[in-house]
Amino acid sequence: MKIFWAFTRQAFHGSTVYRFEFWMRLFFVYMLMYSIYWVWTTLYTQTPGAFGVSLEQMVTYGILGMALEIFLDVGPEWYITTQVRTGAIDTDLMKPLDFHLHMLARSAGEMMFSLGVLALPSFAIGYYLFDLRLPGDMTTSLLFAVSLIFSFFVFFHISFLLGALTVITLDIRSISWAYYSLVSFFSGQIVPLWLFPDLLRKISEVLPFQAIYYIPMSIYIKTLSGGAALQALGVQVFWAIVLVLFSRWAWSRVHARLTIQGG
Amino acid sequence: MNAITLYFRLIRVAVQSRLQYRADFLTGIIGVIVLNVINVGLIGILVSRFRHLNGWTLWEMVFLYCLWLLGHSVYSFFFWHIRALEDYLVEGTFDQFLIRPASPFVLFIGREVQYLGVADLIFAVSGLSLAYRNLDLQWNGTQWLFFGLAIIAGALIETTLSLMIACLSFWTGRARRASNLLIQINMMVQFYPVDIFGYTFRVIVTGLIPVAFMNYYPALMLLDKLDYSSAWWWLGYMSPIVALLLVGITAGVWHLALRRYSSAGG
Repeated sequence: MKIFWAFTRQAFHGSTVYRFEFWMRLFFVYMLMYSIYWVWTTLYTQTPGAFGVSLEQMVTYGILGMALEIFLDVGPEWYITTQVRTGAIDTDLMKPLDFHLHMLARSAGEMMFSLGVLALPSFAIGYYLFDLRLPGDMTTSLLFAVSLIFSFFVFFHISFLLGALTVITLDIRSISWAYYSLVSFFSGQIVPLWLFPDLLRKISEVLPFQAIYYIPMSIYIKTLSGGAALQALGVQVFWAIVLVLFSRWAWSRVHARLTIQGG
Repeated sequence: MNAITLYFRLIRVAVQSRLQYRADFLTGIIGVIVLNVINVGLIGILVSRFRHLNGWTLWEMVFLYCLWLLGHSVYSFFFWHIRALEDYLVEGTFDQFLIRPASPFVLFIGREVQYLGVADLIFAVSGLSLAYRNLDLQWNGTQWLFFGLAIIAGALIETTLSLMIACLSFWTGRARRASNLLIQINMMVQFYPVDIFGYTFRVIVTGLIPVAFMNYYPALMLLDKLDYSSAWWWLGYMSPIVALLLVGITAGVWHLALRRYSSAGG
């Protein structure tokens, strides 16, 4: 726990420098929300019956997808790639700290930082400019908060595995484009899974990505509630456990064949 | 040696140096194709579910996306490194261009190629042919000619805009964030027909950062969607002219920037 706070503090120190970056990020969030808002509003106006939910729910879902990304996506894979490419990874491995835990603490710290600094203004933009609705009742808010913790966990581990891959490939820049679009597609970040054609929906439901955006966001707009919400949380827990075990196994395999550049 | 021969010789060298990394080349190409398949997949899900988006059917949306992508592929193959201008300035690489007996502009734009443009090209051509067939388009000579011009205009619009933004770094030292902003606005135009957005946004992408001329306006003309009763129908034909105007303005900005330049090396 102490390590975790140390990394959070560090993230704050590291990031306060970039004030311009802060405004830029917020402006991007604004633009993304703007486009998704108009897409859903246009589609809803032309065929109101085809959604199964109200326009407010649909817009809230879309806006939320943009607001959550700003703190959920901390990108541990980029840290690992940079360390591997420059050879600085040896200093990480020499630390008296398990590498997987170290990365988890670092990412959680960065997530807390973005949550504190960027998420609030993003939610404010969504709320005041684009009809982002609040969940309304305590149960939903609580379920949503718990679900978010697991989505961070799942997202972190999938990215960590991608990062571990760089130890073998030495670079992920060329894969990253495909990776990000796959995550965004199968996690239902932009288009919710219930609008997918049957086959694609079934595929998405057996993949871990739905645990990142689709589940917490569906809980938020109450398309998943009560028993269904608890069941969805169960799916998240399942994937979190599987991915933790798999990540630890994969890292131990990769560690064995790690070559230090320039060393 | 004249500028054009020099340019092509530089490009050949750049391609050869790129081709040394075969594995990276292949994963990169596959990555970009996957990215495009998913983007079009998302559009496909939305439009097939709701039949159209503000009057744009599935294949019209594919056409819109791929028309943008085709112009973009030219830009991304030959001119992607324009956004790295600030690094050239900071690292002093730019000084090399100034002391050689050739145009610094040609030396700069011939410096690198970005092979991922090939993947965009493959995807855009396939998408456009499929859309052409599925929409039962029967273009006459004029429309084919305009199509060709629109692609060149699209590439020029993106190139000149990104060059103007990159030139900011002659004054401010940094311009990458501003160029990311351009990419963001560009993506919205690539995905969705501009007519679904609010008035302010449409004015911006038409008059201020005219990326809508890369695909939206020429697509209106090429897909017979121009509304001749509207006062603005002629915008559908304006892409080549917008591109020429931007080339003129950018040339001016570049010369101003060079005059302003003082090396980081002192």
